[in-house]
Amino acid sequence: MDLDFTPAEQSFRAEVRSWLAEHTPRHLPSLDTADGFAAHRAWEARLAAERLSVVSWPEEYGGRGASLIEWLIFEEEYWAAGAPARVTQNGIFLLAPTLFTYGTPEQRATWLPRMARADDVWAQAWSEPGAGSDLAALTSRAVRADGGWRLHGLKTWSSRAAYAGHGFGLFRTSGERHHGLTYFLFPLDDVEVRPIAQLDGEYGFAELAFDGVFVPDSMVLGDVGQGWRIAMATTSSERGLTLRSPGRFLATASRLVDLAADAGDPVLLDRAARCWTEAEAYRLHTFTTARRLMDGTEIGAASSLGKVFWSELDLRMHTLAMDLLGDRAAGTPWYDGFLFSLAGPIYAGTNEIQRNIVAERVLGLPR
Amino acid sequence: MNFTFTDDQADFGLVVRDVLAGCRDDRGAAAWQRLGTLGFFGMLVDDSRGGLGLRLADALPALEETGRAAMPGPVVDTAVAGALLLDGPELDKLAAGALRVAVADSASTAADADLADVIVAWPRVASRDAVSSQAPQLRVRLEPRPGIDPARPLFTVTLDGDTRELTGSAVTAWRAATVATAAQLIGAARHLLDTTVAYARERTQFGRAIGGFQAVKHRLADVAIAVEFAAPLVHRAALSYELPSGERDVSAAKAAANDAARLAAEAALQVHGAIGYTHELELRHWLTRVWSWSAAYGTSATHRARVRALVREVPRWP
Repeated sequence: MDLDFTPAEQSFRAEVRSWLAEHTPRHLPSLDTADGFAAHRAWEARLAAERLSVVSWPEEYGGRGASLIEWLIFEEEYWAAGAPARVTQNGIFLLAPTLFTYGTPEQRATWLPRMARADDVWAQAWSEPGAGSDLAALTSRAVRADGGWRLHGLKTWSSRAAYAGHGFGLFRTSGERHHGLTYFLFPLDDVEVRPIAQLDGEYGFAELAFDGVFVPDSMVLGDVGQGWRIAMATTSSERGLTLRSPGRFLATASRLVDLAADAGDPVLLDRAARCWTEAEAYRLHTFTTARRLMDGTEIGAASSLGKVFWSELDLRMHTLAMDLLGDRAAGTPWYDGFLFSLAGPIYAGTNEIQRNIVAERVLGLPR
Repeated sequence: MNFTFTDDQADFGLVVRDVLAGCRDDRGAAAWQRLGTLGFFGMLVDDSRGGLGLRLADALPALEETGRAAMPGPVVDTAVAGALLLDGPELDKLAAGALRVAVADSASTAADADLADVIVAWPRVASRDAVSSQAPQLRVRLEPRPGIDPARPLFTVTLDGDTRELTGSAVTAWRAATVATAAQLIGAARHLLDTTVAYARERTQFGRAIGGFQAVKHRLADVAIAVEFAAPLVHRAALSYELPSGERDVSAAKAAANDAARLAAEAALQVHGAIGYTHELELRHWLTRVWSWSAAYGTSATHRARVRALVREVPRWP
């Protein structure tokens, strides 16, 4: 057991740090506005030109073939530099791992390089009006057509869909509950997109209405009827380290410690020091998880432990920032971060569902 | 970087677990004997001195197992503090499992001092064995004082007459022993979680196992999360306790381990209900041990004050 970065890892960190110090944009408008969306895509294209947008992917798809540990180093540096949130995150962190595992060589070659350059931005389409935490209750369906499928139904709370060009989600091709679901990729051109304003007033969500939208067979991901299993692979990425790397929480905790220390109140500083300790705990835990993944271990249900931990830590940190700043928080990244942190215990499976998963599938308590 | 335990490190822990299984007595004499034959007490002692030559980090799974078993006796004071502070014939005896050490805190309180051959009271050390002592006029006085855990009695220690100065670094040994106690707390918390899950699967009310109720599930999930994220802080502190960030890391680890273990104890008692509040079950041994160890080598309040004071002083990441 050690915590020693190799010389190669150290020089990678130095390269990333120095490039980001020079190129990180000061402030971009919200990625859930038309201008902000375009500005974020341009920034990510810039990252891609340096092969820094998806460092852990193989070189043929635009990455550097970096290890998970190096990816974590990249993330630490990215967030420490104050770089923008990733507009491509649903694609690169959720869809891409699924494409690597279940996609055909053609699908990977078609979609991954475009995703790495932010040519395509992907929206996720899991939830429906009647299927949120109980995702298996979904009723959207796909009907066999010549050379493909026609999609029908309604998806909602679809992140990034207001401005994105593509989506991915589950549709019923047969059966009930978890059986007979199929994982589809689809362009949003023929889908009716109804943007939904979030708490911050921006259009981070959309409702997607499908009225016989045609998708070719080449956009079915994995086997027909196997969608649940494939989607669970994605959601465990979403809950685990690929969506929320420790770097972002470390950066927040570090700024919070400075904010609290400047306020001179030992009670508030104590809360900040606890948050910092917890962010460190998540970082260290992730180093262990990354090594297990590199050694071929599946993380599975254990990713739910982390999802509860990081989402509630993020909320505690931003709640403390609100206590420290009061209404001076308005108009600063702390308030935007506070609103965003409130979503953490909801998305990627509510924390109530995550605690059920921990209890039933990690601890072995009865269903 | 590989922040996971090697097979050797994990296996040593499993051997200790097997050896301690079903081996309970009031003050741990049988367990001590069995661990002694494994070389456990000399695990941090150089192999040239008859020890196993392990680093503290190598020994964590084994230390955690002594916590899982709530093993009585001055395990950490001997195998960690004593191993880093003593030398000469005393160290040889310690490595052979034939010498026990008790360490007094800043209030001159030492646990299990009645079992100890050597008493450390910073910055001095004294042997209780008047015959073999090089200071025959030495007198050690032990006065029993109230403690939380009947199997871990406390004593006020007074060292009179000639005593020796400690040879090793007191600060380093204190930090290492703090990390080791934190590892024991993680082990005790894992035991509490495992036995409480087992109880919740068996105990039925309203016609079903109580572990099927979400209120119970979520409480136990919270314990699992607290233990899962306290443990890496303990592992890190075992690697960094001698570095400039060591003081901060050790305090962060002990506070997190204290809190996770106390959460586990509280949930264990609540889920067991009334029977947990009695002497009918063995649960009480782990409850009092968790409360007692949370105070040993510093309460959460003490350690959190240290983290607070140091959080801006040392680099936060590379």
